[in-house]
Amino acid sequence: MWGFFKLFIAFVGATVFHWAFATAFANIGIQVSVMLVFVVACCTLLKPAYGYPMAFLCGLFLDFFGTKLFGNNAFTFCLLATFVYMLSERFDFESILPQMVSVFCLSVFAILFNALLLMLFSASAVWQGLWSLFAGSVINALMAPLVFFVLRMLLSKGFVSKEA
Amino acid sequence: MLHAKKKKRSAAPSGFSRKALLPLFYLTLSFLLMILPLDGFVSSVKALLGYIFIPQIRMSHSAVKYADGVSSTIRELLDTHHENRQLRQEIEAAKILGAQAEMVFEENERLTSILKLQPSRPWQGTWAQIAYREPSQWNTVILDKGSRDGIQPRSAVISVENGVEGLAGEVVEVSESTAKVLLVRDEDFSAAVYLSPSRDEGLLAGGGTGAVKMKYVPLLSSVKEGDRVYTSAASSIFPAGILIGEVSSVKKGNAFQTALTVEVTPAISSSALKEVFVISDEKDRK
Repeated sequence: MWGFFKLFIAFVGATVFHWAFATAFANIGIQVSVMLVFVVACCTLLKPAYGYPMAFLCGLFLDFFGTKLFGNNAFTFCLLATFVYMLSERFDFESILPQMVSVFCLSVFAILFNALLLMLFSASAVWQGLWSLFAGSVINALMAPLVFFVLRMLLSKGFVSKEA
Repeated sequence: MLHAKKKKRSAAPSGFSRKALLPLFYLTLSFLLMILPLDGFVSSVKALLGYIFIPQIRMSHSAVKYADGVSSTIRELLDTHHENRQLRQEIEAAKILGAQAEMVFEENERLTSILKLQPSRPWQGTWAQIAYREPSQWNTVILDKGSRDGIQPRSAVISVENGVEGLAGEVVEVSESTAKVLLVRDEDFSAAVYLSPSRDEGLLAGGGTGAVKMKYVPLLSSVKEGDRVYTSAASSIFPAGILIGEVSSVKKGNAFQTALTVEVTPAISSSALKEVFVISDEKDRK
């Protein structure tokens, strides 16, 4: 029960920070996604039984703000969760560099994939340009070690954790 | 022994399929949400999610607003003295203008009744702040006020930028404490408009990442760069006479074209939006 509570607190914290960062950086045309970093960090720490629902929920949270399509972020985040669980068998997410590299690559993939989904399913173009794509991904990557560290402190113990 | 081996063999594939089942389940679920039409089942899911997320959104917004408030309060305090002196002068000027306006209003009322014209009422509505901006959907913003504050779907949203009042967008979704606004630049946005000074009417359509265009402008129109574009009285959503922007270019096209396409630079840029005014009594007026 305590594990669920901590997971809920982490989710609420992530939404608050996502809200703040996304709004602040959107004003200068950069797509920053704290939720994406949170999902990647969660999937490296949590058992798949908790990681996938968390990725799905975080995606739905972002989809809630959309007007053109519903479920695209949930789909993208579930796909990211699958990648992270596949990578975690070969990748060491304990050290900072792999965390940053994986978050950067997954951010680029997520933005491009999301744009593709929107184009395919709602015929709307949301391409913000290369600057927005790469600057956002770099900021996500820079945030990654801190998010991983905080989540590890919060979720490494308890039945939801992989280590349990 | 044989029984144990059989058990081992059967355990391996079931473990693998269970591993694959979980992502498959969530991917299928989100895919289904994506392909279903936005009204009906998906809107019910959205409404249900609203109960979960809206308290959280409110909390996030309050937290961000509070943090933002601290820094802006310090900045404001530093500027207060200078601003105070400037405001005193502005109040004096406004008093003089108010006295003149009163006379003009009286004259206007008298003339309106003589000419038996429909009296125009001032816009009523609510001021709201931009609470959230989704980076992947640049032309949609969430306001910090909703149906509780009198905001209704399909209401006009205006804003002021560089001292110029202009149309910012249209309310497309409303919850109890938030409202979603589709901005003028969005490709789903459209409005009946007219050009000034030529008075030619047309249909304004957002261009997404491209330019905002005014379509169906007559070929013989005298439209030129710098002409202003206003909402037309023919619009069912927007009150007439709200500035939308200025003409940035006029495309004549080929000989077979029956109308001009005019590109418009919106008076209110999407990125500069901070505060907006949602007009709420337009439906009563129509």
